[in-house]
Amino acid sequence: MARSFLFIPGNVPRMLQNMDVFEADAVIIDFEDSVSASEKEDARLLTERFLTFHEVSVDVYIRINADKALMKADLNAIDSLPITGIVLPKASPDTLNVFEYLNEYKPCHVIALIETPDAFFKFEEIATHTCVKGLFLGGVDLMHALGGTMSKETLSYPRSHVLMAARAHGLYAIDTPWTTSDDDALARDAAYAASLGFDAKAAIHPNQVHPINQAFMPSVKRIEEAKRIVAMHEKHGSMRFSLDGQMIDKPVIDHAKALLEKVHTYQSGGENDV
Amino acid sequence: MFETSVEHALDNLTLNDGMSVSFHHHLRNGDGIINTVLEKLYARNIQGMHLFISAIFPSYTSIIDGIKNGHIHSITTNYMNGPVAQYIYEHGLKGSLTMQTHGGRARAIKEGESLIDIAFVAAPTVDMAGNASGAIGKSACGSLGYVMEDVAHAKTVVCITDTLVETIDDPQIDGRDVDMVVHVDSIGDPRGIVSGTLSITKDPIGLKIARDAKRFLLQSGMIQDGVSFQSGAGGISLAITKEFVNILNDKNLTASFFTGGITAYHVEALEKGLVRDLYDVQCFDAAAIESIGKNAHHRAISADMYANPLNDARHIKDLDIVILGAAEIDCDFNVNVTTDMHHKIIGGSGGHSDTAEDSKLAIIVSPLFKGRMPLIKKKVTTITTPGEHVDVLITERGIAINPRRRDLIERFKDSHLPVMSIEMLLEKAHDLSGEPRAITPPEKTLGTVESRHGKPLATLFRKG
Repeated sequence: MARSFLFIPGNVPRMLQNMDVFEADAVIIDFEDSVSASEKEDARLLTERFLTFHEVSVDVYIRINADKALMKADLNAIDSLPITGIVLPKASPDTLNVFEYLNEYKPCHVIALIETPDAFFKFEEIATHTCVKGLFLGGVDLMHALGGTMSKETLSYPRSHVLMAARAHGLYAIDTPWTTSDDDALARDAAYAASLGFDAKAAIHPNQVHPINQAFMPSVKRIEEAKRIVAMHEKHGSMRFSLDGQMIDKPVIDHAKALLEKVHTYQSGGENDV
Repeated sequence: MFETSVEHALDNLTLNDGMSVSFHHHLRNGDGIINTVLEKLYARNIQGMHLFISAIFPSYTSIIDGIKNGHIHSITTNYMNGPVAQYIYEHGLKGSLTMQTHGGRARAIKEGESLIDIAFVAAPTVDMAGNASGAIGKSACGSLGYVMEDVAHAKTVVCITDTLVETIDDPQIDGRDVDMVVHVDSIGDPRGIVSGTLSITKDPIGLKIARDAKRFLLQSGMIQDGVSFQSGAGGISLAITKEFVNILNDKNLTASFFTGGITAYHVEALEKGLVRDLYDVQCFDAAAIESIGKNAHHRAISADMYANPLNDARHIKDLDIVILGAAEIDCDFNVNVTTDMHHKIIGGSGGHSDTAEDSKLAIIVSPLFKGRMPLIKKKVTTITTPGEHVDVLITERGIAINPRRRDLIERFKDSHLPVMSIEMLLEKAHDLSGEPRAITPPEKTLGTVESRHGKPLATLFRKG
């Protein structure tokens, strides 16, 4: 599971060319908000050409436009490109209608961007769609729609709700991007999102990726603890035992295994510091 | 002898056609002496001079007039960029251009290969005995490291200052070597002498390179108590310096020394006790200048003590790690920091090839593309630093270890860092940019890049 999703404007060649050097676990090539109306077609062409002729060593998603006409053009352009999936903006009853249309496209892998109040009343429809694999909180647009501003407090309910909906339906959960250039605040916010249980956080600048990756990696203490749990489990074959006075059972063992798998994935990818 | 103007000083000096005059570049773009002195020498119609100057900055534009009118016949320097470099590339010199290294310059002076008739020394503070220091005064520049050897060996030494004091406690230049002191209103513009604060790069590619350099250093096993380190003042180098200092802090280690050009980041490490000494040939920012004036462990050293290959006590002989840049590098790890792909002069060795040769681990850090052109060539035309002295290249897309360093290749064979051959890195670059057409050097030669040992390394060309 990716820790960081980096947005890259689809119409900027230098960003496309370097998409796999910023150490993001996944990139989202954007056709929507960061691309002006007059450059939508440029973004489609550039992305199509680049992904057709260059192999990239990172999971690639494309954020298509919410507008139906633009969305259709986007989907036509990316058909047959080697991407992991699509990020669907403003996931709601309206955009849900396009899911059938999306079904014609492979891979059937959609991350639903939850950024309208309406979406919070339609989680069941969104989250149970066959192609939806993840829920992604879009805090900026949501707060704009609510008339509020982004803060730890104002995001508290949306974060909890998205996270619970994701977990209830076995989807992964991606936290909203951080929008200021304060690196320390980003690190704190990312650590907080990780502590809530989010799998990943979105980045809107390459320099946000490293602090996010660090925040979503388990601490040395947690890694050591997970190793001991898995070792005890493998030694005794038991699904229920006591360790340091704590009762360990299947969910804890599964969590420890997942944690070690994550550590293995990202250390062997070279992203960690040592 | 004390004089009150450059004009009066020149009246009392023996000035000959063909003489060799030296200057230093410690006042950088704020220097007010080089242009002044040269213009007054031109006014006296001194012809065919050899300009022996440690580096040429963009503001030293009087040099162009001297070349045009035959006052300057040939130039020896360690670095140049800006209008003078452009002019020389376009029009050449009557004589030749020799690009030395910092250590090579000191060696050549000491060995008598480079003779100096008059050294004109912009000195921020001079005392009544002729002792001088760069650390104090209204035009303070910190270390005067690159002019100390000139002063010790020139036939005549003229110190020009705007701050005259009774005595200097800790002089960098010995008054016994000084023949004349000229007291003027100003030797330069402090705004051009130093940068206020040098900044770590914010470029994501640069930061990625810095992170990989940190990972490489950690896995190299080189960072031990007593490690010594040098890096430049570029944005990526500063990012690596910061990472290096963080490692020292995290691992509770103390470095033995940092040397070369010194910045606020080096000073901060000294003040935190993370490094024992700073051996400073050049201060790059205001914090470094302030530090050298007050901290006994921040010492000005001469280019001779810094990098002269014939001086067994040179500091870089004990240098463990150096971080260097590159304009181009080839598949034999030869590095060019002197010319661009069109053979125009854009820099020079400075201490590049000195430190690469002497250090235990010479790491080149650079983005894989310079503009749209790949950093790596099959062969560079201008060799500034021979590949045999370069150990590692770190780019944002991969790390190449020189095959000569079998020990490092062995150490990193199971690393999860993206270590690959330099040919593979070149291939990666060509995949993205295509293979650039080779550029044939111009026919007219301009001069030579000289190794620190005085041997020719490469030919320099001029346009046309």
